[in-house]
Amino acid sequence: MLDVDIGLTLGTFRLDASFGMDGPGVMALFGPSGSGKTTTAHAIAGLVRPERGHVTIGGERLFDKSAGIDIAARRRRIGYVFQDARLFPHLSVRRNLLFGWQRAGRPLSGNQIDDVIGLLGLQHLLDRRPGKLSGGEKQRVAIGRALLAAPRLLLLDEPLTALDAPRRDEILRYLERLRDELRLPMVYITHSLDEVARLADNIAVFHQGRVVAHGSIYDILARSDLFPLTGRGEAGAVIPARVVVHRPSEGVTLLDFGGGMITAPLMAAEIGSRVRVRVRARDILLSRVEIADDISANNVLPVVITGLREDADGVEVSLDCGGSALVARVTPHSRERLGLAPGQRVFAIFKTVTIDRREGPAG
Amino acid sequence: MILNSLRMAVLACFLIFAGGMARAADITVFGAASLTDALEDVARAYVAKGGVPLRFSFASSSTLARQIEAGAPGQIFASADEKWMDYLAARDLIVPSSRVTFLGNALVLIAPAESTQEPLEITSALDLAALLGPDGRLSVGDPEHVPAGRYAWEALTALGLWGKVEDRLARGDNVRAALALVERGETPLGIVYSTDARQSKGVKIVGTFPADSYTPVSYPFAILKGQDNAEVQRAFDFLTGPEARKIYESHGFSLK
Amino acid sequence: MSLLSPAEIEALLLSLKISSVAVACSLPFAIAAAYLLARARFPGKTLVDVFLHLPLILPPVVMGYLLLVTFGTRGPIGAWLLDTFGVRLIFSWQGAALAAGIVTFPFQMRAIRLSLEAIDNGLMVAAETLGAGPLDRFFTLILPLALPGIIAGAITAFAASLGEFGAIITFVSNIPGETRTIPLAIYTAIQTPGGEAAAARLVMLAIILALGGLFLSELAARRLKTVLEG
Repeated sequence: MLDVDIGLTLGTFRLDASFGMDGPGVMALFGPSGSGKTTTAHAIAGLVRPERGHVTIGGERLFDKSAGIDIAARRRRIGYVFQDARLFPHLSVRRNLLFGWQRAGRPLSGNQIDDVIGLLGLQHLLDRRPGKLSGGEKQRVAIGRALLAAPRLLLLDEPLTALDAPRRDEILRYLERLRDELRLPMVYITHSLDEVARLADNIAVFHQGRVVAHGSIYDILARSDLFPLTGRGEAGAVIPARVVVHRPSEGVTLLDFGGGMITAPLMAAEIGSRVRVRVRARDILLSRVEIADDISANNVLPVVITGLREDADGVEVSLDCGGSALVARVTPHSRERLGLAPGQRVFAIFKTVTIDRREGPAG
Repeated sequence: MILNSLRMAVLACFLIFAGGMARAADITVFGAASLTDALEDVARAYVAKGGVPLRFSFASSSTLARQIEAGAPGQIFASADEKWMDYLAARDLIVPSSRVTFLGNALVLIAPAESTQEPLEITSALDLAALLGPDGRLSVGDPEHVPAGRYAWEALTALGLWGKVEDRLARGDNVRAALALVERGETPLGIVYSTDARQSKGVKIVGTFPADSYTPVSYPFAILKGQDNAEVQRAFDFLTGPEARKIYESHGFSLK
Repeated sequence: MSLLSPAEIEALLLSLKISSVAVACSLPFAIAAAYLLARARFPGKTLVDVFLHLPLILPPVVMGYLLLVTFGTRGPIGAWLLDTFGVRLIFSWQGAALAAGIVTFPFQMRAIRLSLEAIDNGLMVAAETLGAGPLDRFFTLILPLALPGIIAGAITAFAASLGEFGAIITFVSNIPGETRTIPLAIYTAIQTPGGEAAAARLVMLAIILALGGLFLSELAARRLKTVLEG
């Protein structure tokens, strides 16, 4: 679906990025500012020409240096949503929305247009001018404008960075809906792990102009060797799980992740629907004995230690929990005290669980 | 500190201007445009004889009279017609006893030097409009105020030709401007003084207006009011004296 | 009862006609020049920039003389115009419009250029990703967003060309009904004995036109600003 392998030099900055994904989904380009994410996005969109490599989307080559292919930006049909929305100030929201659509040969029917407008909640904004919109509204219009041109790929460049927390949440929910209902491949640039965990299926980790690792988020985010890049404090594994039962009176929902059951805060999700569970490494305690009943933490899972890695902040312990990967962080002192070693069976204990979005209905 | 610098600056400007004004001890002559070359020759002769340098301001007599009326600094006025000298006299701006008229001129019809226009006789039968062609214009001084233009108007009217060319005119601010248009070939014909035509290599005379069709051209000279000191008188006497008259004659002016 | 004599009304109408034509005809060139200087990069750009500003600095009479030498019937372009089209600019209101247009060209160009430079380039990039090519972007984005500057420039140029004297009188002479605009009419009136009253009337007229033009310019600029920014 998406295959990118490019290299270019901008002044003193050297970019070499290689990543891809096989099916529709969300590919997150993750990394700190200046690591090359936006430049890569520009290369995908055709706004900057790489010196080597290729960009292929849906099997179609948009750029291939060796074959001399370089399709002009305006013909690539890539919906680019900019960080600052960039709505045309002299046009109404309606005319902004239809701008790309008109130039794409009017690919969507009136009903389809209404669907997108409904999806993003823009119905009552159509006659306004961009100058009179809030930040969140502007971003939704920008997304809608990109979508109405029926792009082959949606490219969002840190769309939430310029928004405050409530707006961010609002747009994230719209993006989740987009992803679930439109099945459109998306490339999502961000430096927020939170957004990655909620939205993305795949991740490419950028560091100083190179893609250091890429793959499914379940694999990459659990890799302790990447934790310096994937955010130490926030680092933690992501596990897909399925909702089994709700217990409203207890305020919890039980999730089945294959390696056992997780107790999570009560959530609004259908029985059988898939959710993502993210557990921060620093929130996981390790115990050599099972203390299920006499402690307040609800989650006590049998795990096997698959690896230990010491770094500046302590020791990262990679765990396997019935096939799913978890990561815990302990102090070197604790490692000594408990005598932790690879292959050992211990128990992972945690009480806080970050629940992310659902993946789809039951099945 | 700033105020001090400002005062210095103002003082400096004043001194510069005052220095300029000090040179106003030179004698300035306002001369009708048609006298340009002749007067400059006379001034050179004056200096050769030990006289002070003369400064000139040449323009249409109308323009000069207006300037003098508005207070322009100068000592002598040489007009191309009595009317503008009368204008100043009526406003008590000249020394009446100094006024003297001794020069005349003739009105001619000219064409660009390379024109194919043949010499012709200027009578009331002349089809001037036809000679101008479909869109050509007749270059003259503005009849509303320029003496040469007024003489031209008189002559054309007397010959019954004015009506046909009134809206075909190109009106210059002075007679030399009218001459320049013909020199440049922008107009096929023009009416100027014979003295102007003579000194220009870019035009040729194709006709002379009958002397009785217009008031005789006369050039009154006068000293401006309050300027009649000995130095100015000396210069004035030379400008109107025998040696100067020979020079005017050599330029083609007639002596009255 | 009319406040103005026929000659004065003629001067007024001629002024309006010449200034309108001057501004309208130089507008496309002003837009092109402003666009070039605002967005293009090429060797010798500074030179072109300075050259295009010359009419602003050169004395109008010098401009008029240069026009005479170039567009007069013996000048290189003037002769060609006469031979090919039978068109003679000298002594004609079209020539006066040319003179006024050239002399006020820098006003328009500068105002438009400022407007163009104020346009966020990010919008252009966004438009490109939405499928808009350069010409498309120019007409749907750049032109509308530069409109306040274009209008302000046009009105300024209009007011300035109403007052243009030196270039017109030097190039096309002072022909009533053809080139005698209000400034030339004032000049003529001053020369003519007894013309003071006419001169005064024309001066009042010129002041009213100038004030009116400035007022309109302000109004238009403000209106457009709100329209464009919603």
